[in-house]
Amino acid sequence: MARYSPKGRPSDKETPIQQIRPFEFKQCIAILKATGKKASTIRELRNGISEVSDECIFHHVYQYFLKGHILEYTNDFAQWTAHFLEERALAEQLSNLDPYMFHSIEDVRKELLRIIDTFLESFPEPRPVLAGNEFYFSEALTIVFPCGVKAKNLAEFLVAIKNVDAESIYYHFYEARMRLGGGVDDFSRWIEGSLRRKDLAERIRNIDPFMHNLDGIREQIAGFVEEDLRIEMEAP
Amino acid sequence: MIQQYKGIAPKGDILLIQKLCEKLRGRCILNINSTRKGGGVAEILQRMTPLLKGLDIDARWEVIEGDDRFFDITKKIHNTLQGNMDMITEDMWDHHHAVNEANSRKIDLDADFVLIHDPQPIPLIEYRKRGFYVWRCHIDVSNPLPDIWQRLERYVRSYDCVIFSVSKFSKSLPVDEFIIPPAIDPLSDKNIELTEEEVKRTMDKLNVPMDKPILLQVSRFDVFKDPIGVINAYRRVKKYNDCRLVLAGSLATDDPEGTRVLNEVRDYAGNDPDIHILLLPPSAAREINALQRAATIVLQKSLKEGFGLTVSEAMWKEKPVVGGAVGGIPYQITHGVTGFLVYSVDGAAFRIRQLLNNPGMRKRIGQKAKEYVRRNFLITRQIRDYLSVWYFLENKGQKAIEL
Repeated sequence: MARYSPKGRPSDKETPIQQIRPFEFKQCIAILKATGKKASTIRELRNGISEVSDECIFHHVYQYFLKGHILEYTNDFAQWTAHFLEERALAEQLSNLDPYMFHSIEDVRKELLRIIDTFLESFPEPRPVLAGNEFYFSEALTIVFPCGVKAKNLAEFLVAIKNVDAESIYYHFYEARMRLGGGVDDFSRWIEGSLRRKDLAERIRNIDPFMHNLDGIREQIAGFVEEDLRIEMEAP
Repeated sequence: MIQQYKGIAPKGDILLIQKLCEKLRGRCILNINSTRKGGGVAEILQRMTPLLKGLDIDARWEVIEGDDRFFDITKKIHNTLQGNMDMITEDMWDHHHAVNEANSRKIDLDADFVLIHDPQPIPLIEYRKRGFYVWRCHIDVSNPLPDIWQRLERYVRSYDCVIFSVSKFSKSLPVDEFIIPPAIDPLSDKNIELTEEEVKRTMDKLNVPMDKPILLQVSRFDVFKDPIGVINAYRRVKKYNDCRLVLAGSLATDDPEGTRVLNEVRDYAGNDPDIHILLLPPSAAREINALQRAATIVLQKSLKEGFGLTVSEAMWKEKPVVGGAVGGIPYQITHGVTGFLVYSVDGAAFRIRQLLNNPGMRKRIGQKAKEYVRRNFLITRQIRDYLSVWYFLENKGQKAIEL
C-alpha cells in the first residue's frame, strides 16, 4: 500500500489561526418512543414500513449507528430479518441499502418496500417469529447538546476526538450526513473548510460508515489525523 | 452528588443531567411508589432524589401506605400482569382504589412532574392537581391477563405518558409510550469496587473456597430462574472442567413457592461438595458484590425474566455472562460480544466450557460487557432519560431539541 502523503497539507497558505472557526463538539441522545405497532411476519414488517412515520424509519435505519455497536447488519430491519425471521438473503439485501444515497426518508421507505416485495415475489413467505421476538416499531426524540469541548487546530482536534463520548462521533459522522446532505460529515467539512487540509478531509470522507462501530470510526479518524500531524512535524 | 459519578458514567450523561436541571431549575419532581426499601425502584429513588436536589430541582419522594390486604391485592395484580392466573374481585379493586384515595389526602400531590411507579399507586392520577403525570411501569406486561390490564388501562389513559422498560412491554395506547430501560447504581453496595481482601474475606465467610473456577447464579429460588437446569449444565461441564457452582439467592416473603424450590434444589444438588447453595438475606448486597467479583463466569439461565438487572451487575464487574434469551436479557447481552445467550441446558454447558477454556475470551467479553453497561445501564443514564421525558413534555410537539 502506498504511503500516505498529505499533498494538500497547508503551510504558508493555511488559514491564519485567528480566522479559524473552532470545531465545537456536540453530541446527541435519543429517547425511544413506542409506536404501538409490531410485526411478527415479513408481510407485517412490510405493511408496518409502509405505514409508520418518517421518524420511525429514521430511527430504525439512520439512528441504528447511535447504538454504538454494529451487529452483523446495518439497520434494525435487516438485523431482525436475519436473527428472528432467519431470512438471511433478505437481511443481506436490506443491509446493503445505503440510506445516504437517497434524497428523502420517503425514498428510503420505497426502497425498503421494493426489496421486500421483490423477495416476496420470488420466495415462499417465511414463518412468523416466536412470541416475544416481534419487531417493535419505534421512534425517537432527540436532544442535541454541546459537549463543552472546542478544537482550534488539528492537535486539539486529535485530543478531543480521542476523548469525547461515542454519541459525539455519531452526531458529527453519521447524523451530519442527513443534516448536511451529500454524504458529508462534520469532521471532514471542518478540516477541509477551516484547516484547508483537503487530503485529510478526503481520507475521512472515504471511511466506510457501514463497516465500523463508533469506536472504530473514532480510531480511524484519530489514526489519520495522527499520521497527518506526524508527517507535518517530521517535514524538513 | 453528581460529581461522584465523574470518571465512572459517560461524560455526556452527566453534562446533559446538569443542562436539563438548569432548564428545569426550581421546578418540582415527585416520585411515588409503594416501598421505601428493597427492590430496584427504591434503590434508584434513594439515589436520584438527593442527586436532583443537589442540582436545584425540588425533588420529593413519597411512599403510599396500605394495609396487608392492600399489598396482597397489589401482589396479585403484579402477578396477573405477568400472566399468572388469579382473580381480582370487584371488592378488591374497590379496596385498591380506597387506599389510594386515603393516600391522596396525606400526600402533597402538587408538583410539576409526577412519576407514579408501578400499579400500586396508579389510581392517584384521579387526584392530580397540576403538572405532568407519568406512569412508570417496571414490570413485564407483555402478556397480562386481559381483564386485569383492561382495568388498569382505564387509569393509564388519563396519564400524560407511560414509560416501559423495553419495547416488547409496550402497548397500543392513546398516550405516548417511552422506553427507558432500568439501570444499576455503580456506587451502591451491590456494585461498588471492592478490595481483593474484602472479596476473599467474604468468600471465606460464605465457605466458598477460591481454589477452582467458580460458576455463579444469583437469583431468587424460583422455577423460572431454572436452578435445576443450572445444576445440570454444571454437571455436564464438570465432566471436562473442574469447577464450583454457587447458587446464591434469597427467599421472597411474598413467594410461598420459594421454600419448595429451595428444598428441591438442595435435594437435587445432593452431596456434591462443589455445589454451594447460599440463602442470603435481601440486605446482603456487599456479599453478592463479592460473589460476583470472585466468580469466573456468571449465569442467568432464566426461562422467564423481567429485565434481569443481575446480568448488568455481573457485566459491570467485567464478568462474562451466560444468560437465557428471555425478557430483558438480550437487551444486555449481545451474543458473542458482551456475553452469550443460550436456549437450553446444553447451550449453557457448551458456552461455559468455551469460556472456561479460553481466558482471553473471558477477558475480552468482560471488558466489552463493562463498557456496554457503562454506556447503557447506569443510573445516570436513567436519570438523564427521566429528565429528558419531562423536558419533552414541557416542549410538547417537538421531536428534536437543541440545548
